[in-house]
Amino acid sequence: MANIAIQRIKREFKEVIKSDEAQKCAINVELVGDDYRELRGEIAGPPDTPYEGATFQLEIKVPETYPFNPPKVKFVTKIWHPNISSVTGAICLDILKDQWAAAMTLRTVLLSLQALLAAAEPDDPQDAVVAKQFKENHSLFLQTAQYWSHVHAGVPKGNSEFAKKVRCLQDMGVGEHQALVALSSCNWDVDRAIEQLFS
Amino acid sequence: MFSDIKAGDTTPTHNHSSVRDWIVGDACTIHYTVMEQQHNAQESPTKPSEYDPDINQDELIKAQEKQIAEEIKANTAMIGSLDDLSTLEQEYSNDPVYSGKVKTLLPKYCNVRRTRPDGNCFLRGFIFAYLEYCIHHRDELARFKKYLEGSKEELFEMGFPKFTTEDFHDMFMEVVSDLEGSGSVDRVEAVCNDGGTSDYLVVYLRLLISSHLQKNAEFFSFFIEGGRTVEEFCKQEVEPMYRECDHLHIVALTAAVGVGVRVMYLDRGEGAAVASHDFPEDSTPVIHLLYRPGHYDILYNKA
Repeated sequence: MANIAIQRIKREFKEVIKSDEAQKCAINVELVGDDYRELRGEIAGPPDTPYEGATFQLEIKVPETYPFNPPKVKFVTKIWHPNISSVTGAICLDILKDQWAAAMTLRTVLLSLQALLAAAEPDDPQDAVVAKQFKENHSLFLQTAQYWSHVHAGVPKGNSEFAKKVRCLQDMGVGEHQALVALSSCNWDVDRAIEQLFS
Repeated sequence: MFSDIKAGDTTPTHNHSSVRDWIVGDACTIHYTVMEQQHNAQESPTKPSEYDPDINQDELIKAQEKQIAEEIKANTAMIGSLDDLSTLEQEYSNDPVYSGKVKTLLPKYCNVRRTRPDGNCFLRGFIFAYLEYCIHHRDELARFKKYLEGSKEELFEMGFPKFTTEDFHDMFMEVVSDLEGSGSVDRVEAVCNDGGTSDYLVVYLRLLISSHLQKNAEFFSFFIEGGRTVEEFCKQEVEPMYRECDHLHIVALTAAVGVGVRVMYLDRGEGAAVASHDFPEDSTPVIHLLYRPGHYDILYNKA
């Protein structure tokens, strides 16, 4: 990795660890392996959102040309959000694409992602199905996102009705996550989810 | 009956401003390369003949953009060698409009130095030409150093992040101090062609432009298209690397650092002469740049 990239990322790493937000456990970053090419980020779900109480793991890859090009970031923890792919974890956020500037840092990125969880932009979606639900059936979106936080991101409070529906599909031989995706995409309509899974 | 879009899909409406910017910016080279590649692709048997929904077109476009950018990077120095202006004439030997206009430059200018067409060409050309000028005008170098020293606090006041802004600033100061001591044109050439250093200088100039535009937002807001605020414009068009410099960027930069620039516009516009414009208006230019649609190179005045 170019010298400038390594020096920058080392300092940014320290900046995150020492930040007020890290002290409050809102963001964190760890090394993966012994160089700074790949990092593991962590953000806490913001309060008053369906992600409250959740912890999300992020994969952060630092390019050779850092900081002139943005880090490549995606969600490792599964999440139900209009700007994040429920399948791949890919993120649609301007600063990770064409609005990245060399003055930004890992800390800026983590805080911007946290802000994205609190303020989705359904009109510029990464996941079209989630965005559609967000706009057309917002209360169901909130419940679904909350349930995903429970299943995948460590939130204790669940949803017995959703759990029952997932189990129903599991009894038919469908994997747990596959069932969750099908039901979430079909607004928790079991018949439609079955049709989608078996057609 | 359910929607035929699958969860996790990227929507077709996805924002692709970066593609548009690439095509607009540094247009000659990019267009040419794209066309050439498409031509080559047609000859290759692996090219899909029809639209294939399983192929992610977004990814393909991105991959091609990246390939083009890498080719440009591999084949063109950030700041090229000092070439005779006749090389420009030869470039247009088959183009009567351009070659006619180039001829009108010959009495005034003797040399041209080409810059890498990567969207940073104006800023890279500007800083090279200016530092080269400073090598021969030490009092100007001293003035610039003083300006730079003060600019850091100004950027902090405008809310730019301390830790990274300081990095760029320190690098710039180091370059200027080094030139004060043992400055030579060769040294300026080496600095401006050193990847990390050169890019840091470009980044710092971008921050200076952004700061100047935002400080004078009331005035500049009249010139910004697309219903954007000055701050949005800076976030989208000024601060990111590889973003082309437009009139507005040049007005802001030349006013902020107090350096006169003359731009010679070589295009298909009416008239036999090459139009020119001085920034700031009525200033005495110390740098001369040649503009061709989407790209800037450095021109050298006959002594």
